[in-house]
Amino acid sequence: MDDDEAIARSLDGDLAAYEVLVARYSALAHRTAYMLGAGNEAEDVVQEAFVKAFRHLPGFRRGAPFRPWLLRIVANETHNLTRSRGRRAELALRLGAEADERAPDDPEGAAVATDRRGRLLAAVRRLPERERQAVVCRYFLQLTEAETAQVLDCPVGTVKSSTHRGLARLREEVGNELA
Amino acid sequence: MSSHEQQDGPLGDLEAELLALGDLLDVPAPPPADTVAAAVRARLTQPPTESPDPAGAPDAGAPDAGAPDAAGEGRHPVPDPAHGPDSLRHRPPARRPAGRPARRRVRWRVAVAVVLAAVAVTAATPQGRAAVARILRFAGIELEITGTPPRPVTTTAPLPGERAVAPSELPGLARFEVRTPARLGPPSAASVSDGGRVVSMFWPGGVRLDQFDGEMEPYFFKQLGPPFPEYVDSVGGVEGWWIGGEHPLGYLRRTDGTAVPLRQAAPTLIWSSRGVNLRLEGVRTAREAVAVAASLR
Repeated sequence: MDDDEAIARSLDGDLAAYEVLVARYSALAHRTAYMLGAGNEAEDVVQEAFVKAFRHLPGFRRGAPFRPWLLRIVANETHNLTRSRGRRAELALRLGAEADERAPDDPEGAAVATDRRGRLLAAVRRLPERERQAVVCRYFLQLTEAETAQVLDCPVGTVKSSTHRGLARLREEVGNELA
Repeated sequence: MSSHEQQDGPLGDLEAELLALGDLLDVPAPPPADTVAAAVRARLTQPPTESPDPAGAPDAGAPDAGAPDAAGEGRHPVPDPAHGPDSLRHRPPARRPAGRPARRRVRWRVAVAVVLAAVAVTAATPQGRAAVARILRFAGIELEITGTPPRPVTTTAPLPGERAVAPSELPGLARFEVRTPARLGPPSAASVSDGGRVVSMFWPGGVRLDQFDGEMEPYFFKQLGPPFPEYVDSVGGVEGWWIGGEHPLGYLRRTDGTAVPLRQAAPTLIWSSRGVNLRLEGVRTAREAVAVAASLR
């Protein structure tokens, strides 16, 4: 069952069809929520987003891609969560353990690489929100510019400029050298 | 992407580096897809909704599908407080997908069994909030949902620092824009509490409207047993919860989160609007309460 069919059936009240959509996108939704600042509450955000998406499904433009439409709801829910706590959406991102385990035969090079990655991540965290979100969507979530625009609810041109500014800032902060 | 084309090597390398970094980030494993799907489905099917139309289904909380009710008295849908009408929504601190261990349920039952103040202490810590699973937050109000009717509060207490003021003075005393429901006419009395964080208006017949700062953590808590709150969806621009029965009402002190019992509250509509949380108490029906809410000017 492809997305279109699942959506059509969901609109007819077929919850099993909607479950297919939920199962298909839950991991991506979770990653998106987490990376956009939901942190440990990503699970709650995802569940909320899917419930909300179902309610808003009648407003979904048929034939449009479901993925960015859903991720926008995820992004909104994440935003609401962080705002309702009156705090900036923290980017609770850490380097995974495997980041340290590469190149075991070159411990010095590995250490340098790890250090650079750490600095780059820290610099991403410090970006102004708009730029940070664009960078997270474009690179960490690997969304296209058009998808990013939809998820962040802004024109593609804004995504381009935010990404560009964010990259320039990162470049300034961590330099160009590759580890 | 465009900057690839516009920029020379280093920036492109930075992009490649960011892409690689994304793969190395430590993102917690998502819950199993079928678990999420089942939990979502449970939430879409469980509420005692007045509308069988799925598109109009009000949000309802996860009914802990897969786990028997702790008290063995059947499941109760948990209202979903996350869809306030504006961006200042509060969400339940812990919504569990189906099939989570029963451990928290037991702790929840214990928490329900203890007295008001102890519940508040539990709720004051993140861990406690996670444990007391059926404390829900919406529009600056914590709803403690219990399986049995809570013991009524027989005393009444004022809000912290509450003082009577002339209704006309309210705008200058509150920390937010104060509005008045046109449908009720001018209030007969008014008060300001907690340093301007809460504004209350009173009308004859036990009707009162509390408006409070929407930016903060919850101010009030309510203890609710069955019947459960009724979701009010976008009627006259109002989206909120209608609590149709009398219920114990308390106040969460800002400084330390201490729960201060206030009184037994009459039926209440809670919602939020323009960053302000509101509770309208003492109007008899949900329909009338929503009409009052929609008349805020």
